[in-house]
Amino acid sequence: MTTAQMPKAAPAPEAAAVRKPPRRRREGAAWVFLSPWVLGACVLTLLPMAVSLYLSFTDYDLFNSPNWVGLRNYTQMFTEDPRYWRSVVATLTYVVIAVPLQLALALIVALALKNMKRGKGFYRSAFYAPSLLGASMSIALVWRAIFNDGGTIDNLFGTGGWVFKPGWALLAVALLTVWQFGAPMVIFLAGLQQIPGELYEAAEVDGAGRWRQFLSITVPMLSPVIFFNLVLQTIQAFQVFTPAFAISAGKGGPADSTLFYTLYLYDRGFVASHMGYASAMAWVLLIVIGVVTAVLFRTSRSWVFYASEGDR
Amino acid sequence: MPGNRTRKSCTTAVVLALCAVLAGCSDTDESSRAGGEVVLRYTWWGNPDRAAKTQAAVDLFEERNPGIDVQTSFTGYEAYKQKLATQAAGGDAPDVMQLDYRMIDQYATGGVLLDLSEQQQVLKTSELEPGLLATGKVDGKQYAVPQGRGTETMVYDTEQWKAAGLEQPRVGWTWSEWADAMRTVAERTGEPGGTDPGQSEDAFEVWLRGQGRTLYTADRQLGFTADDLTRWWTFTDELRREGAVSPAEQTTQLDGSVENTPLGRGKAASDVNWDAPASGYLALVPTGISLAPMPAGEDGTPGQYFKPSMFMGVAADSGHPEESAKLVDFMLNDKDAAKILGATRGIPVNESIREDIAADLKDFDKTIYDYQATVEGKLDAPPQAPPSGDTALQTTFMRDYDQVSYERMSPREAAENYITEAKAELRS
Amino acid sequence: MTTTTTSTPAVRMPVAWARAALHAGCLAALLVMLYPLAWLLATSLKPADEVIASLDLLPGRLEWSNYETALEGVNDISVGRLLGNSLLIAGGAVVGNVLSCSLAAYAFARLRFRFRGPLFAFMIATIMLPHHAVLIPQYIIFNQLGMVNTYWPLILPKFLATEAFFVFLIVQFMRGLPRELEEAARIDGCGPFRSFLLVILPLTRPALITTAIFTFIWTWNDFFTQLIYLFSPEKFTLTLALRSFVDASSTSAFGPMFAMSVIALLPIVLFFLAFQRFLVEGMANSGIKG
Repeated sequence: MTTAQMPKAAPAPEAAAVRKPPRRRREGAAWVFLSPWVLGACVLTLLPMAVSLYLSFTDYDLFNSPNWVGLRNYTQMFTEDPRYWRSVVATLTYVVIAVPLQLALALIVALALKNMKRGKGFYRSAFYAPSLLGASMSIALVWRAIFNDGGTIDNLFGTGGWVFKPGWALLAVALLTVWQFGAPMVIFLAGLQQIPGELYEAAEVDGAGRWRQFLSITVPMLSPVIFFNLVLQTIQAFQVFTPAFAISAGKGGPADSTLFYTLYLYDRGFVASHMGYASAMAWVLLIVIGVVTAVLFRTSRSWVFYASEGDR
Repeated sequence: MPGNRTRKSCTTAVVLALCAVLAGCSDTDESSRAGGEVVLRYTWWGNPDRAAKTQAAVDLFEERNPGIDVQTSFTGYEAYKQKLATQAAGGDAPDVMQLDYRMIDQYATGGVLLDLSEQQQVLKTSELEPGLLATGKVDGKQYAVPQGRGTETMVYDTEQWKAAGLEQPRVGWTWSEWADAMRTVAERTGEPGGTDPGQSEDAFEVWLRGQGRTLYTADRQLGFTADDLTRWWTFTDELRREGAVSPAEQTTQLDGSVENTPLGRGKAASDVNWDAPASGYLALVPTGISLAPMPAGEDGTPGQYFKPSMFMGVAADSGHPEESAKLVDFMLNDKDAAKILGATRGIPVNESIREDIAADLKDFDKTIYDYQATVEGKLDAPPQAPPSGDTALQTTFMRDYDQVSYERMSPREAAENYITEAKAELRS
Repeated sequence: MTTTTTSTPAVRMPVAWARAALHAGCLAALLVMLYPLAWLLATSLKPADEVIASLDLLPGRLEWSNYETALEGVNDISVGRLLGNSLLIAGGAVVGNVLSCSLAAYAFARLRFRFRGPLFAFMIATIMLPHHAVLIPQYIIFNQLGMVNTYWPLILPKFLATEAFFVFLIVQFMRGLPRELEEAARIDGCGPFRSFLLVILPLTRPALITTAIFTFIWTWNDFFTQLIYLFSPEKFTLTLALRSFVDASSTSAFGPMFAMSVIALLPIVLFFLAFQRFLVEGMANSGIKG
């Protein structure tokens, strides 16, 4: 019946047994497919990453050649820089607020649009429209106006001006990201599109209700895409930069409440010219995101279903 | 494990490549010659209006110098700073670049800039105001030459000021008179008298100089103590609590544009700003604005000074230092260029050109010229360019004061904080 | 369309009601969602003293001159030229990303090779490092290659699958396809190249279209890279020119900036409208047996 019921971790051997082209040839084919990526990864990614890792142990200031300082940047970051810790707290708060809200909204809208017969294209475009803007200067100014005191939100709910209240500014910035949920929504829609209609037909014949269909077909079939969105949005949320930069004019204000990690990193690297310190910050962030992502990948084994099973 | 060996040689390869890249950045002086022509790259920051005038002047330069092709490029200030830093770090600085007061020390000590006295054959500085010219020197070498000058001003809404029953501030009015004026406006109109100046390092410097002190000493250390800063922040913080100057929520919206100042948003009657950008208020305050001098120390010591608003510098590794210097000379000293450029980069530092163009100045340029004339000869010489750490400290200053105006720290705590950070910044 | 809702007469009424409720809900949500966009549009027509100071949605009087100023372009470069440059870059990026990312994704999703796990982990790791940290080394590399002030730094990386986001996206879609497809193709005598072209690629179309759309929009809006690598104004893009209207040190012009952002928005709106309908056709129409 539904493929969704198939055991996830089916043993792979049968696949290998069907036909076994010479391993060498298949391996060769893989490298052909990979060749553009390998070239790009070595020259444009690995090399700059290696340089930045090296710089994180130096006092590089953009203008003079770097001097080795060992772990000084790292110890300074953890022990002598209260602003660094403020940026960590702000970023974590942001991740916890923005990621679930944005994903939930994107998924709900995608599901609502999935079965829509008329006006699907219209709705999809309209819901995506905010995301077309990116976090530009002009949208930041609009945001400031709407969330300012005397602005729309204040008039409707009497909240006062959010953007410039230390406790609330972060929420206003997070809402900008949540508002631009178009990308995960489109990805969800594309994922829903890929689920074979036959599965639902078969379920219908079996008398499965809507909810049952959702749980046993939609969720498992969509799980690779849900997983993708979760991982990517989390990574991007940790690196949130533009909305806060635009709204607070690069300061991360008020009172450092939206001084997100990468914003502070940029400030250290390009405003204060402490590129060595900024590089160290970048590598700490990489490690933190890496650990979080690894945890997500680990949990994915128990809830993400791949039709091509046997992988991972 | 067999992979071990591969990994080791891989690491070696990466390190080698890395060295090659890092070493490579020092020797990028491949001459840019297209078809026998010298090609110069010239960048500046500014708005479309300045761009049009600059382009016209550059066209004239090319016409007069047939062998030289000047490629120009410009963008907004914030973007410009980052782009130039990236280019400089990548060993790819443009031949001729516009620089800010705060950038000079860093770019000069970082070896990006050419010592322009090497090119004094083509680049004449005799007509430039000596005090301002000196601000482009670092360790005795002329790394940059100033183009225009500006000075700080208190811009105010003329109507509101009158409505509050205040007189036009005179040269030499004091900070306590200023504070009283702020209170009066607040009482009579219900809106704060002006922007809270506590966040501005520039305003602090004016106040500090009024007390006979300086922001930095000659050997690039702090010229003031935590006590000085505490007094300044206590002064502004009390005014803020009284409602005489803008509340924290308004002050923190400042982003450098006049539109986002309390005055620009119609939430206060005055602002402390540089004279050139103040022209932006014309469109925002329909009833009209006036420019007043900055308050002086209680004994009348002037705090404000003529600051070079923009400099020009030449890249140390430019393939064409002479032609570059020629372009700088043209932009600074040529009379026809001056006619085209007007006051787009501030009132010219070249004294004879300043007189020449005075009659042709129109609108707000004229207002600025007249304003500068009222304080001419009454101000002290400008300090040397601030040390490189100042770029970072300017933001730190703002951030630390945010903690005060949002009442998370006392002026004393914030000041101590700032001094600690500043010392660390200036040491490195 | 996607699913087959078998509606029998008995349940038609509730379904119709449910549908109406759905539409009403969507429209209400849209009203909230599109409000800031309306604000953007309205602001682009406000006179200077209202752009920031006024907190009303509608302009007091219409100021068309914002658009006139914006359409004059910047530094003698016409808006048409800027538009063309933007299109060229975004178009090149789309081709590059779709090609290179699908190739790499196929290898990661369907082929076996040594170090696949570690390489995949490395690929994901490349998106974890904030790009500010690698900006200068990358600039040095492109400068050494003599590619600064050309479009190469903006397009070449896309042809080399440096955007792990899309590789990972396509990988996830490919892994969602049943293994039997290729087994069948292999029995028919298809090698990896043909089964990639003939079997897998057509079935990952939703992901490829998604990649194309996002690449176009994100490249279009990518102010930062364009700023760093482009020097000559005649190579500037719309997005870059947009920023020229904001210069804090001189009189800024927020009105024309808003007008310019509306103008810059139009092409991506059109692009999205044109391509979003391809998202509709997916697996459901392609006659796949599950």
